[in-house]
Amino acid sequence: MSTASTSTAPRRMRAKVRYNVPATIILLVCAITVAIPLFVTINMSLKTTAQAVDGRAFTLPAPLSGDAFAEAWSLTDLPRALSVSIFITAIAVVGEIVISSLAAYAIVRNWHRRLFRWSFFYLLAAMFIPFPVVALPQVQMTGMLGLDNPVGVAALHIVFALAFNTMLFTAFLRSIPISLEESMRIDGASTWQVFWRLIFPLLGPMSATVGIFAFLQSWNDFMMPSLIISDPRLQTVPVLQSMFQDQFSNNYNVSFASYLMAMAPAIVAYLLAQKWVISGLTQGAVK
Amino acid sequence: MSETTSTPPRASTPQRSSAPPPKESPNSPKIDPIYYFFLFPALLAFTLAITVPAIVGFGYSFTNSIGFGDWEFTGIRNYIAVFRDEGIVGAYLFTLGFALVTVIITNAIAFFLALGLTARIRFQRTLRTVFVLPMVISGIIIAYVFKFLFSNTVPAIAQTLGIDALSQSILANENLAWIALVIVHAWSTIPPALLIYIAGLVTVPEEVYEAASIDGASPASKLWHITLPLVSGYVVINTILGFKGYLNAYDIVVGLTDGGPGVATRTVAMSIIRGFEGGDFGYQMANAAVFFVISIIIAIFQLRLTRGKASFGS
Amino acid sequence: MSPSPLSRLQTSRRGLLAAGGALAATGLAGCGASGRKDVTFYQSKREIFDHIKMLLAELDAAQPQYRYVHDVASNLSAGFARRNPPDVALQNYNLEMSRFRERGGLSDLSDMEEASRIRDDIKDLADWYPPYPGRTSVLPWSVAGAAVIYNRAIFDEHGLSVPTTWSEFTALCTELQDAGVTPIYGTFADAWTLNQGMFDYTLGGMIDVRTFYEQVTEIGEEVGPNAEHSFSKDWQEPIARMLELLPFHQDDAPARTYNEGNTAMANGEAAMLLQGPWALPEIAKAETGAEMGMFPLPVTEDPADLKIRVNIDLALWIPEAADQPEGARELVKFFMQPEVQDTYNVDFLYLGTTKDAPPATDPRIVEMQSYYDEARYYMGASQFIPNTIPWANYLQAIVFGEKPETMLARLDSDWASLAYRA
Repeated sequence: MSTASTSTAPRRMRAKVRYNVPATIILLVCAITVAIPLFVTINMSLKTTAQAVDGRAFTLPAPLSGDAFAEAWSLTDLPRALSVSIFITAIAVVGEIVISSLAAYAIVRNWHRRLFRWSFFYLLAAMFIPFPVVALPQVQMTGMLGLDNPVGVAALHIVFALAFNTMLFTAFLRSIPISLEESMRIDGASTWQVFWRLIFPLLGPMSATVGIFAFLQSWNDFMMPSLIISDPRLQTVPVLQSMFQDQFSNNYNVSFASYLMAMAPAIVAYLLAQKWVISGLTQGAVK
Repeated sequence: MSETTSTPPRASTPQRSSAPPPKESPNSPKIDPIYYFFLFPALLAFTLAITVPAIVGFGYSFTNSIGFGDWEFTGIRNYIAVFRDEGIVGAYLFTLGFALVTVIITNAIAFFLALGLTARIRFQRTLRTVFVLPMVISGIIIAYVFKFLFSNTVPAIAQTLGIDALSQSILANENLAWIALVIVHAWSTIPPALLIYIAGLVTVPEEVYEAASIDGASPASKLWHITLPLVSGYVVINTILGFKGYLNAYDIVVGLTDGGPGVATRTVAMSIIRGFEGGDFGYQMANAAVFFVISIIIAIFQLRLTRGKASFGS
Repeated sequence: MSPSPLSRLQTSRRGLLAAGGALAATGLAGCGASGRKDVTFYQSKREIFDHIKMLLAELDAAQPQYRYVHDVASNLSAGFARRNPPDVALQNYNLEMSRFRERGGLSDLSDMEEASRIRDDIKDLADWYPPYPGRTSVLPWSVAGAAVIYNRAIFDEHGLSVPTTWSEFTALCTELQDAGVTPIYGTFADAWTLNQGMFDYTLGGMIDVRTFYEQVTEIGEEVGPNAEHSFSKDWQEPIARMLELLPFHQDDAPARTYNEGNTAMANGEAAMLLQGPWALPEIAKAETGAEMGMFPLPVTEDPADLKIRVNIDLALWIPEAADQPEGARELVKFFMQPEVQDTYNVDFLYLGTTKDAPPATDPRIVEMQSYYDEARYYMGASQFIPNTIPWANYLQAIVFGEKPETMLARLDSDWASLAYRA
């Protein structure tokens, strides 16, 4: 590992096209550890019940079977659950990026003001409240406010992630030189305009990061929708799939198919977005 | 705060004074009121959705509530019971130790992976994509898949290779089960740490390294003296968040070991949530309140340790 | 957050669903369209999801007033906390559930004709948990009779007959071991299987579970080494007996899970498994044709002490806060029809709860019926310890080698602490 890292820097500047071969090899080997559990999941899910019952992970499926998917699909009414999950996730991603970046910007630019500084520490401290403490009162409150539905869940995701996201944006904002902003203000731009035209685009890499976190958290979350959403028809994918994930069955193939179906949308979305995400991340380097 | 109604479009001078590094007097004359609009609605929602429920939950810690129906005030009985409960003390010790080990291992691996992934390597984009992938999968599913691997696949392989130590599932070993928890938590939480390190590393300007190379610095000293200080803010973020996350470890633990074998891997969050579901609401709220205080103390301690390196706190 | 979140939800959902394609049947539009009222029906036990779904479709078709929403996902604690629980439920009845009943969360069904058809001793079974005075809040629908599952072929092959005393049982195990057969398949990795199997069977066979819990509940805070009754005192002997079973298990029992136990039984890898009737369909899934039977675990030298472990597999209840109590009662009536209830119990190997229920005939559980009818049963001792005390984990620790005294003392102090703060 350390060979890879330490040889990094000199290579980087000397030759443009020369690749760091040892680092590449080490990383490829490490990548296998990531791949194995995913391979096992796909492999197991494609088996028939009779073949899966022996519990061997690496024997290839024979015959190839899609039964498990059909069963998992129909039992969970997946299309409806997917649309609810997508709805919650979309609100959470957009909401988290916009609301947290605005808050972080206000905090960083007014750091010398006690009110803003303390707001930041307030958010940080509240981040450590264990979820169970707030769970039951939240259940009661969302019930009273008529927010015991996907909208309430999305709103809670935004609020829960506020502290963490603000922390990330704050750290990033400090690395943006103030001079850029000042010249824009001299040209007569308002704070609002400065934020949207200059700061928000510059935040791209961090927004990408926050966006991925927001997507994954709200997509994969089990606890919050299961507690907050009262209408079973508006439940999310992970909650509905949880009924496949208890231990009362030795249908490994159906279980693994359901695991795969739970993973698949997020993996596909991530693979589609990764180009944008990874380049968003590296944008910072250009600067 | 001053209530001067500055005209936003032309107010360029006061903003200049609000740049972060120079320490201004705390009552700088003018603030663009739109900043309040940026921050305070979010803060209000946060207070309503988190702080108020937390206070209500804290209030329940002085009752015998089961989370439904009537309850009575019981004073500090719950707190007395928490401190007498040896099971809870055991859970605290395990959780703290587990969080410490996991945060160190995860951050070390994530940091070096980030260095590797920001180096000039082949397949850079593909590799980045692959390493971030585990983050995409929810904890409970990861736990189930790994449980299957640990209890079937690993012993089977060990038996073929004749490795006795691994031929029994480590999940069934009271002294080793925690290692499985560390492995699975690392597997699933390296990606977020990695992303944050990559985002930090790519903002380090190349000129800095070039200058250092000209001065003849060795790769190791560059890593120690240049890279680390420059990304130290991200190290602080990752360790604090990581620690917080591992202290609250729940779904992977439930899916993988369910606190066992025996009580070997019971975490605090597990006790709290189990009790909450088991009609022991008031008591577990007291436990959670104690846990919150301990978490905050640890976070402050971490901040102190890294004071000056943190990218917040001026 | 947005001015009209609900309308936005509606639109965006419709858009998404148009893309998703398969929504028409499920009808999200609320109760307006068909003029039927929605009744939310909660069900536990996902193994029977398909069966219940079929029954609901039948019920939907049989009447024009209500449409039943099949719920397997809701969190009941949250539902009760926000006073919006499902309208009716068919659920495993246990200590956690009894809490809602004890605090008056469930409505009285004693006026229903269906309630009077339930066997009195089975109605009383529900009252082993704290009841709500004067109400018949739960209607037991199916009862699981659990004991030792055994492979008939293996028993026949070695010329063994069902043992009725502890010494016969140990002799049988030794004989199997000498013949190279694993007597009992252990699945210790899933702690609950220890609880329901070797623990509940030895406890239930040696002490009076109901009386014991009445005693320790009475003693409350004072439960401990000096009390007249305590876990350390009363359970010491049964636990010691339980531990005598350990040598009869296969070597890798600590690492094996419930699922693997079922597969192993199907493949004839062991002669016995300490499980309930729910495991039998799972064993059948491997399609090996292995024939199973069941007998109560003898833990004393007197055959008259033989008892089986029962629990209320499923019970019907209607919350006080139900929005549609009438629709809920319709469902209860439908589910209590003999052809519905008895079919389930026959197909899924459970025991009937009504006075006129036909006896079990499936060879796998047929031996349970006489014990059930003669009230020679107990509820599992593990089923009266609240979830907040991790007894399954303590038990697992004991089985893995921890001193029983240590863990039982801890259970004493947990129990006392629970009483102290109540």
